[in-house]
Amino acid sequence: MVERAGYLPGLAADALHWRAETCGAVEVLLPVLGGEQVTAIAQHVRDQAQARLRSQPVGRIVDAIDRAVARLLDRRDPYRQRMDDLLPRVTGYNREMVRLGLTGYLKTFRKPELQRFLAEDFANPAILDDFQPLAKGGFGRAFGPRVLAHIWAGNVPGLPLWSLVAGLLVKAGNIGKAPSAEPLFAGWFAQVLAEVEPDLAECLAVVWWRGGDVAPEAALIQQADLVLGYGSNESLGAIQSRMPVAKRFLAYGHKVSFAMVSAAALDAAKASATARLAAYDVARYDQQGCYAPHMLFAERGGAVPPQRFAQFLAHELAAFERKFPRRPLTMAEASGIAAWRHAEEMTPGGEVFGDPHGAWTVSYQPEDSAFRPSGLNRTIRVVAVDRLADVPGIVAPFKALLQTVGIAAPPRDLFRLAAALGHVGVTRVAALGDMTAPEAGWHHDGRFNLLDLVEITEIDGRAEAAADRLASYVD
Amino acid sequence: MDYDAIVADLLTFIAADAPGDAAFDRLALQLFAYQFAHNQPFAKFARTRGRTPRTVKSWADIPAVPINAFKTLDLTCCAPADAVAVFMTSGTTLGGLRGKSYHPTLAVYDASMRRNFAERFMAGHARMDMGILFPTTAMMPNSSLAHYLNLAVRDFGTPGSGHLIGEAGIDFDRLTADLTRAETTGRPYALLGASFSLVHALDELQRRGFAVRLPEGSRILDTGGFKGQSRELELDEFYDALSQTFGVPRSQCINMYGMTELSTQFYDNGNAVCPSVKSGPHWIRTRVVNPLTGVAVPKGETGVLAHTDLAHFNIVTTILTEDAGIETDDGFLLLGRAAGAEAQGCSMAVDEFLRAAGAA
Repeated sequence: MVERAGYLPGLAADALHWRAETCGAVEVLLPVLGGEQVTAIAQHVRDQAQARLRSQPVGRIVDAIDRAVARLLDRRDPYRQRMDDLLPRVTGYNREMVRLGLTGYLKTFRKPELQRFLAEDFANPAILDDFQPLAKGGFGRAFGPRVLAHIWAGNVPGLPLWSLVAGLLVKAGNIGKAPSAEPLFAGWFAQVLAEVEPDLAECLAVVWWRGGDVAPEAALIQQADLVLGYGSNESLGAIQSRMPVAKRFLAYGHKVSFAMVSAAALDAAKASATARLAAYDVARYDQQGCYAPHMLFAERGGAVPPQRFAQFLAHELAAFERKFPRRPLTMAEASGIAAWRHAEEMTPGGEVFGDPHGAWTVSYQPEDSAFRPSGLNRTIRVVAVDRLADVPGIVAPFKALLQTVGIAAPPRDLFRLAAALGHVGVTRVAALGDMTAPEAGWHHDGRFNLLDLVEITEIDGRAEAAADRLASYVD
Repeated sequence: MDYDAIVADLLTFIAADAPGDAAFDRLALQLFAYQFAHNQPFAKFARTRGRTPRTVKSWADIPAVPINAFKTLDLTCCAPADAVAVFMTSGTTLGGLRGKSYHPTLAVYDASMRRNFAERFMAGHARMDMGILFPTTAMMPNSSLAHYLNLAVRDFGTPGSGHLIGEAGIDFDRLTADLTRAETTGRPYALLGASFSLVHALDELQRRGFAVRLPEGSRILDTGGFKGQSRELELDEFYDALSQTFGVPRSQCINMYGMTELSTQFYDNGNAVCPSVKSGPHWIRTRVVNPLTGVAVPKGETGVLAHTDLAHFNIVTTILTEDAGIETDDGFLLLGRAAGAEAQGCSMAVDEFLRAAGAA
């Protein structure tokens, strides 16, 4: 059976035109939508959300998502089996890496984690259901957009779930444009949610069109109250240029992340474990996620010098390659790595440790500590620095591009470095080994996942007193 | 071997008829030893690959220098100050750095160009009426293409042939006059230029409603692709348009594939079918390799092109390009640039980082 992407309530599947596309090694049927169809779906989702979602208490929505996620955590569930079967073939990522990654990721969307998600942004999540007293006086209630548009990008399995769940929690009608690189996951999730909670079935849609197709995108922007966009600066700029001035567009651009290892983590007993954690962050999803490290700054002065640590890291990457081989690369990607590796080799003082087949590469640089992106796909530059405290200064010029820093350092240094890194634009500090698995409720790129989506309608404190004067029971 | 002997040997080799594998190998190894001795950055690069005159036994063992290295290293055997010409790349990537090729003499470059051009483009004519859609060497002294086209018009053009681009851009009056004259006199005409200049010409001629049927034997040479300087066309669309506007069949539309980092060009035998098979003369050889390992991929599979050009004697003979290709029986298919891949996820690849960091 050929897999169909998307989730299109209100449109008859037979009436649609489907295009067969090869995604990785899988033949997928993608819906070909024009502007009018996108408009019709958006209006349907808006009306249905108005009728069936916006009046639901947020607790019920949490329960519904929890049930959908429980099904996907169950390896016997047919949708989960399709994910385990097809996502590795669509993306090329190692099968076991995808399976483990999905389970770990889905666990961050169970009920307790969703409650944490809500509590992170709302001191009192009931503000999503009804007017609640505000600290300044008066009352406030949070309203999500009637139609929230998501323009997703990238092939890391499951990424659309973040914003889709956020949209549901604020009771928006949701329309997501599935990424061409992995068009299946979002639609599957929508179908499972519809099965476990028929009330939500018509309140979300997953659409697709070929990148650069203007008409459906313009229709979506036109219908949406708020647009979330993911992707490169180029593609975000193109969306931005089509946004009406008064409409909000939240852009999540591509980012870079890096790691820092203190001398304390480089003693004889700990260095090898530290290298394993760093290698895990490099190997997981082959550095395609924005939270994966491009560089690693290693502090001099530990029992294990940075150069030796780079060798440890190479050893651990070799071990990962045996366990979770890297996905097959396109010729462009392989050529990109080759160009990166040659540049590293030609950097004075540089030493490059690499797998003979190019499956991974560690470049050790004792003299040139400049911040540079890696060649991706399991390539990393290890730079020796005298003090980790020098690193914020090195990365400061790239403030707008920074995201996660994975740190292996003692507590005092952790907080001191985090403060300095925050000043230069880093928005997340994680333990080494956790870089690629953000915890529930994290502030993506430093922003509020839910608060950014809502508007507060407030009742001025004096309005209550004024109303009192008009009560039938006024004395 | 010293410089004079190298140049003399090369000129003899280029002039020879099918000198054979052994002769190619012998000269390639001599050049490798020469460059290893006189080109320090290259020698260092070769040593990191474990390749020295002692270990390199055949031309295919010569380590291929990635073209990006031309931007950061002065890869030359002669002192840069002794070069009579420095050809530079356009510098559209890597923060505007331009790759440089130093030439202590142009005798070898010119001999390579002339013999190859005569055989692959001139099709038996000694001279033809020619129009060049590219700036002159005076306007672009560091452009290898400007030099190449200058040679073409000087050594293969009839009197009256010349450049159709001046300081003010394409001289359309002269272009249309040339084309009309060819149509009237029945003398074959050759139009040569950058692919994007030909697109500009096509667009303007179409706007003017101008089209000709150039006489039989007329030919068009395009090179370099569109490079963001004109509309991007599919190859079929491009050659159809050339054929319609100038009346030259696609089989007479020749694409030249050359690089600043080489002294020899590749040609196809027309573009009736795209992508066309490209091939070069006996003093250049191409391998299709896995860019990560440098090992040749099985014939028929896609890889990256590595060229060994004996005529590029002062710099390095063997370069690793960023062009994807497939080996065929009589050459290779050129499939376009195999670099600049974006991350599949939300991370940043090098090119995007450089753009974003430049904009930040």
